[in-house]
Amino acid sequence: MKIQLQHFVPTTLALGLILLSPLAHSQSDNARLSALETRISAIEQDTAQVEALTRIQRIQRAFGYYLDKGYFGEAADLFTDNGLVQYGVDGIYTGKQRIRELFTRHGGGSVNAGPGLPYGRFNMHMQLQPMVTVAADGNTAKARWREWAMLGQYEEAIEWGDAILENEYVKENGVWKVSQMRYYTNFVAPYEGGPASLAPVSGDWTTEVGKAFPADAPVNETYQPFPAVYIPPYHYESDLSAIRSDPPLQQFIRSNDAIGRLEALADEHAAKLARARSLRAVENLQSMYGYYLDKGQWEQAASLFTADGTWEFGQWGIYRGPESIARGMTLMGPQGLEQGQLNNYPMLQAVIHVSDDNSHAWGRFRSDVMLARNGQGRWGGGVYENEYVNDNGIWKISKQHYWVTFWGDYDKGWTGEGIIPVEGMSSVVPPDEPPSVVYESLPNTFIIPFHYDHPVTGEPHNDLLRRDQDPREQQQ
Amino acid sequence: MKSILIAIGCSAALTLSATASAQSDNALFQLEQRLNAVGERIEHQQDISEVEILQRSYGYYVDKALWYSLTDLWTDRGTLEIGGRGVFLGKERVYEYMRVGLGTVGPKPGLLYDHQQFQQITTVNPDGTAEGRSIAFVMSSGGWGHNYYENDYVKEDGIWKFTKLHGPFNMYSGYDIGWLDNTTLNTFPEKFDPPPDLPPTTIYLTYPNYYVEPFHYPNPVTGMPMPAPDPAAGGEAFGNYSPADWYWQNR
Repeated sequence: MKIQLQHFVPTTLALGLILLSPLAHSQSDNARLSALETRISAIEQDTAQVEALTRIQRIQRAFGYYLDKGYFGEAADLFTDNGLVQYGVDGIYTGKQRIRELFTRHGGGSVNAGPGLPYGRFNMHMQLQPMVTVAADGNTAKARWREWAMLGQYEEAIEWGDAILENEYVKENGVWKVSQMRYYTNFVAPYEGGPASLAPVSGDWTTEVGKAFPADAPVNETYQPFPAVYIPPYHYESDLSAIRSDPPLQQFIRSNDAIGRLEALADEHAAKLARARSLRAVENLQSMYGYYLDKGQWEQAASLFTADGTWEFGQWGIYRGPESIARGMTLMGPQGLEQGQLNNYPMLQAVIHVSDDNSHAWGRFRSDVMLARNGQGRWGGGVYENEYVNDNGIWKISKQHYWVTFWGDYDKGWTGEGIIPVEGMSSVVPPDEPPSVVYESLPNTFIIPFHYDHPVTGEPHNDLLRRDQDPREQQQ
Repeated sequence: MKSILIAIGCSAALTLSATASAQSDNALFQLEQRLNAVGERIEHQQDISEVEILQRSYGYYVDKALWYSLTDLWTDRGTLEIGGRGVFLGKERVYEYMRVGLGTVGPKPGLLYDHQQFQQITTVNPDGTAEGRSIAFVMSSGGWGHNYYENDYVKEDGIWKFTKLHGPFNMYSGYDIGWLDNTTLNTFPEKFDPPPDLPPTTIYLTYPNYYVEPFHYPNPVTGMPMPAPDPAAGGEAFGNYSPADWYWQNR
């Protein structure tokens, strides 16, 4: 189709010039047609990139659901024929059969039967916080994922699992598949005591499965899991394409002829597409930020902000500009964390909106938090309401605001005496400005404001007002 | 002769003109078709995001008992079924489920009710409906919950809404020893006020028993439908647990 058109354009151009006065504008029309064709091709390519990203999210999430319920053969079927799984330091398993057996042995199913799990087996592998980079040619992709696992055997033992996945995907005959899964176990910790109770591993920490079912090849790089602080390699350290989108949109005035109407339609589609790309770029950006926070990489995290961007965390106050923000983050610990420190701040449940002109974005995220330091474990929960700016096609953070819902002691939970109040401003690392809103966390409760109106009614979220005006409530 | 030549020339020019114009129209038509096709693909991506926003907003509303906002996510005839409590029909019953069953509107001092919405797989169908599988990971004052959704949505006048929220339980436990012991096998209508309009669509027992809510989608790589669980691996078939057995064990 494309070749025919390129051939066609110069032919009509010549005819118009030589013979035909009614087509006096043909030259410019043909140039416009040619430009429009080029533009449509670009829109098609960029659309394929967004489609690839959502496809990869779908495959990885399907993978999690398969592990959950013992569908290990179906999980292995998500891989290419020579796909591989690198599992912790156990080694590399290649091919669907080996991958199926690997996950079956870890999950507790049977390699001699179909899908399922024995009574009392719990094997939940939540696949979270996608950071997906689709290659420019649209045929391969890489993604970082957080796995939060709930494991165990009823009435015997139960565990928390924490891992980072760095995966590669490939499009084979039009179908996206997993080609490589690098599964970096951070810990499998007993529920009782949690990760804070873990002792450092000494020497070889190959899993029981790895010993009984040896890998096909050793890992390229060995590492120590938690309580050591290990940063699984990032696929995107020098490649920022995952947070790239179109620059803010320009308004075009199109002539009211047949080509002009198509140009206007292309503008409309391009605008929608730019905003769809931006939504995914912002989702990636927040994931990227979260992975840096996890490992105490304050400088890298702060580098994702605009020059006057703000960082507000609970009641610590507001830090402004990357340098100040990196300093504020040291309230969480030293750059790079310390041995035995867990700083898991997952970025979850994204609700992202991009402005009509593609210049600004807003994001609500959930972050229920698992921490450990000095042998003490802690739970936390809260919601981010953030803002982002499109800096000529690269998305940056202009505001991170984490509203703390609760802090709770790991051993006692988040009720009664387990509740830990939110901390105020630090005198050691003072903020640039006090908190924008003063509040107390649990046992106090409050509604964290929404950046967006109700997705169905388009009205502001005003439930408390509606309650006070509801005649049904006054009767009761 | 001259006039004949001119006439021939004109006729040739007209023929060429008509050909050029037809080719130009054809080019425009092809470009318009490509634009329409890519426009539909872009809208499909937008639909996925909008359905995700709907589902995730639901979670933020549950957190703070924002029952009006929650109910407004439904179509007038939408349904709700959570755990084994039966099916509630229509927006008003969705509101009643929340307001009567779970408490007044607004957050309560000292109580946590976080319903985190994770791992959404959204399938947008050509007929303007959509399906979604996702997880509710619950951290509440009562402890832990890990549950699935298999929900249906519809686009009405350009706006996505719930037509069906179907939330089978997977695991509920207290905090102290987690899911080691003492989990909730399921809920059922007799132990929940208000009563449902219809009985549960599926009778099943949750963890430590095995139950898998069917996936609405085929394997995203092979395209094969989901096989039934194999009792030889320990799995019961989908919700085939005898309702009578379940009733006598749990009454």
